[in-house]
Amino acid sequence: MSQAPALNLGTLLPIGSVWLGALLVLLGEVLLSRRRSFLGRPVTPVWIGTVLAAISTFFLVLALAMSLQAFLSGGAVDFDPAHPMIELDRFSNFAVVVVVLGSLLSCWLSVSYLVELRINHGEYYSLLLLATSGMMLTVMAVDLVVLFLGIELMSIPIYVLAGFQRRDLRSNEAALKYFLVGSFATAILLYGMALLYGVTGATDFAGIHTHLEPTNLVGLAGVGLLIVGFAFKVSSVPFHQWTPDVYEGAPTAVTAYMSVTVKAAAFLALLRVVMVALPSVALRLEPLFWALAALTMVVGNVMAVIQDNVKRMLAYSSVAHAGYILIGLATATAESYGAVVFYLLAYVFMNVGAFAVVSALADAGRECDRIQDFAGLGQERPGMAALMTLFMLSLAGIPSTAGFFAKFVLFAAAVNAGLTGLTILAVLASLVSVYYYLRLPVMMYMRERSAESGPWGVLSTGELVVLIACAAGVLFLGIFPNVVEGLHVLDWARDSAAPLFAAR
Amino acid sequence: MIDAHLLSLVTFLPLAVALVLLLAGRAPELVWKGVALGASLLTFGLSIGLWLGFDPTRTGYQFVERAPWLPGWGIHYFVGIDGMSLLLVMLTTFLMPIVLLASWNDVKRSVRSYVFFMLSLETAMIGTFVALNLFQFYVFWELMLVPMYFIIGVWGGARRVYAAVKFFLFTMLGSLLMLVALIVVYYLHFEQFGTLNLDLVALPGTAARAILDTHVPIAGQAVWWQTQPWLFAAFALAFGVKVPMVPLHTWLPDAHVEAPTSGSVILAGVLLKMGTYGFVRFALPLFPVAAVQFTPVIFTLAVIGILYGALVSMVQKDMKRVVAYSSVAHLGFVMLGMFALNVEGLEGSVLQMVNHGLSTGALFLLVGMLYERRHTRDIAEFGGIAKPMPVYAALFVLVTMSSIGLPMLNGFVGEFLILLGAFARSPAFAVPATFGVVLAAAYLLWMVRRIFFGPVENPENRSLIDLGLREKAVMVAIVVPILWIGIYPDPFLRRLDASVLEVLRRVEVGMAGGSANAPHADRVGLEAPARAALAEAGR
Repeated sequence: MSQAPALNLGTLLPIGSVWLGALLVLLGEVLLSRRRSFLGRPVTPVWIGTVLAAISTFFLVLALAMSLQAFLSGGAVDFDPAHPMIELDRFSNFAVVVVVLGSLLSCWLSVSYLVELRINHGEYYSLLLLATSGMMLTVMAVDLVVLFLGIELMSIPIYVLAGFQRRDLRSNEAALKYFLVGSFATAILLYGMALLYGVTGATDFAGIHTHLEPTNLVGLAGVGLLIVGFAFKVSSVPFHQWTPDVYEGAPTAVTAYMSVTVKAAAFLALLRVVMVALPSVALRLEPLFWALAALTMVVGNVMAVIQDNVKRMLAYSSVAHAGYILIGLATATAESYGAVVFYLLAYVFMNVGAFAVVSALADAGRECDRIQDFAGLGQERPGMAALMTLFMLSLAGIPSTAGFFAKFVLFAAAVNAGLTGLTILAVLASLVSVYYYLRLPVMMYMRERSAESGPWGVLSTGELVVLIACAAGVLFLGIFPNVVEGLHVLDWARDSAAPLFAAR
Repeated sequence: MIDAHLLSLVTFLPLAVALVLLLAGRAPELVWKGVALGASLLTFGLSIGLWLGFDPTRTGYQFVERAPWLPGWGIHYFVGIDGMSLLLVMLTTFLMPIVLLASWNDVKRSVRSYVFFMLSLETAMIGTFVALNLFQFYVFWELMLVPMYFIIGVWGGARRVYAAVKFFLFTMLGSLLMLVALIVVYYLHFEQFGTLNLDLVALPGTAARAILDTHVPIAGQAVWWQTQPWLFAAFALAFGVKVPMVPLHTWLPDAHVEAPTSGSVILAGVLLKMGTYGFVRFALPLFPVAAVQFTPVIFTLAVIGILYGALVSMVQKDMKRVVAYSSVAHLGFVMLGMFALNVEGLEGSVLQMVNHGLSTGALFLLVGMLYERRHTRDIAEFGGIAKPMPVYAALFVLVTMSSIGLPMLNGFVGEFLILLGAFARSPAFAVPATFGVVLAAAYLLWMVRRIFFGPVENPENRSLIDLGLREKAVMVAIVVPILWIGIYPDPFLRRLDASVLEVLRRVEVGMAGGSANAPHADRVGLEAPARAALAEAGR
């Protein structure tokens, strides 16, 4: 009692730097927006946005660098070794890298997009950073309470971000819908946690693992509710209905952000919960995840076929991708978990890339999100069309793109564990997906520009950087995921899952 | 130096040029066309180096290159050629400059994108034929879809989008199931040898184990999805769509008719061969027992394809559709010869792949030339045009004869060998197939009569201009190998001998339940026991 607890404050550095960034952004906006000129230059909305984005970038890159460095040097640190709550092992470090990468790309995407939609407010970056810190907390958590804190810290800023286009009815609808459904999901999650605590008397994952009886019905109910809560967050069928409306209504940059990072954070946290806290009921979970994966893939892909709005189509495609990823959970081997991590990383590049094209084409307060808006893009804007095609091919899983390797390692893990039936279902579902992913190239290259198309916005520097980064990521992960010395990303993803299995 | 990497150079040179074109600044269309033609000619020139350097007496792969790609996963960049892949690579590199020259005035919009897709398509096709790692094969196999999809969809005819999407989806259906089967084999290998490896064969001179050493359980020995019949079915579906075998052929007429001339030529000339090549290279040696079990099914479908393709051809009004359905019939012959599983049949089958590429490619070129003049392919629109276009008519008749299989022309050699092999294996299937030859003569000659002979009734046909210099050059180039194979096929057959025997040896050993890696000493007198073993199993 007399001894001061030996806390590893260093574990808070990455997340702390993001918090600091969030505060500085708020402060900076207040200071800057009151001035007419700064250092002799006129203060314009674009300029303010750029400065705030630069601040955010700095702190995000700092967090990214620290996590990557920690990942590469290996080892695991607990915030409080006596009572594990936050753990920085190779898994959470790599997870943070994935999440922060998605945040960084969306942050750059926002600068000119916000100006074009006339919703350029500094709070945006602050909220983005806060949500990111929530995701970081979520993937580091080894305790239900911290996990809950993380999920809330992640979700609440995103409710606000979804409604950031205040004057737009669809954006309001998205925010309200996401908020209501999200709160509902959180409540279910919390109920599950409460039940688990009730049966096991523990909130930390290790404690739950020790005390959870696989036959205890109340405990099983808790596990079920917990998974339902997660299923909402990752938009798995039948808990996916909010996804298309929210993705369509939210500003595109926000959609890009939430589609990759929320999914990544929720899935990564779920991996740890399942493997560290609930291995004793793993056998019962396998058929559950099997069914969720099958349903999600089929419904997501089939529904995406009939969409005429690109953002809605990408929303259902994101449901479908959640289905593929759930195969990794149904398989539940170290190999498949590594594949899930790689999949989420690949998904960051291809999905942000696709949304980046949509947002870069938005012009003067008008979104460019109907399929026919893309007609003739191939002739008028060949570069944009080529990039969009690349991202679509990657989402469809055509070789030499990140999406193919992601699917290959995932399916390989599933077949190795004997889940051939589910894998066959997955490839058939992705055949359906080819059809709707090809609709955009068809529009862009095989239809003439008409009165229906455009007008298309001009490409800004930020968007250009994001597009190039995403294309580079898609091609790099698709051709050399394990070739370049010092960048064996495929091995990294596999290794990152190892700590979850070492604990068993 | 160049010698050691010649194969990679041939494979990637077109893609490299394509990427440079993509990044280059603005230039007149002539520059894009010229550079593309130059690049494809250079590729062809380099591939002649392969032809000359190839040692036909050696078994196994030559010009082998291997480099790590994903070392921990057993995925390597691994290329090499044997006689079969040599011929198909040559066919590809030979057809590409011809096609580019033939479509010189054909393509008017986005010329740069067009040559980009053509050149990247060439790399994807060659890459498929030279790949010795299953993963790499799959990558190139799928990659080929993308440029072809755009060539049909952007530069095609009225229903081009429908045709392009149908082509893409049909091919994907098969290849995705093949991917699952491939992963199953991958893990079977892992279970047996403890290493992840997707190399088809071991690097020459090493004792390492490769995919072909894997024992794939026959039905009843393991869970259903690990057994040969199912794995073979998955591979056969992927390849069968591409061949195309009836009833998976419905994408072909659409794709052929809607594609621009160059697309049709490449589609018929090379792409369809990827399916038959896949059967010989992968499906047969990997799953010999299942292949033999499935022979009656394949034979039935092949004969149906031959007869159905011929009959449907006969009633087409569109010249391109006639040629398209004739492809279904011809590829039926290729499948028939292949699954005869004897030297004559298999050798004829591979040779017929090349022949079909040449003569059907030439037919599509000729149809395209007429279409350029009249903007219609409707047979009824023509008649008596041998008068205004004598050179064109002579070439058309020559190519038609080659397609029918007239002696002294290439088609005869292939079809003769195939029927020889098929008769030895199963007269019941060979006899109806022979009728296919007769039918081919019927529908093609009938079309020739309606187009070229008789009085010129349509006044528009009177003013038709005969072939220009560029068109003559294209046609002469493609007629040379047609005559060469027809008169003196030995250089081609000689290069096939060793690799065909090797495939048959693998099938034979696999049938006997042994490891395919047995020493090669039992080569002498292989044919007789092989045939006996196969006849035994086929019953």
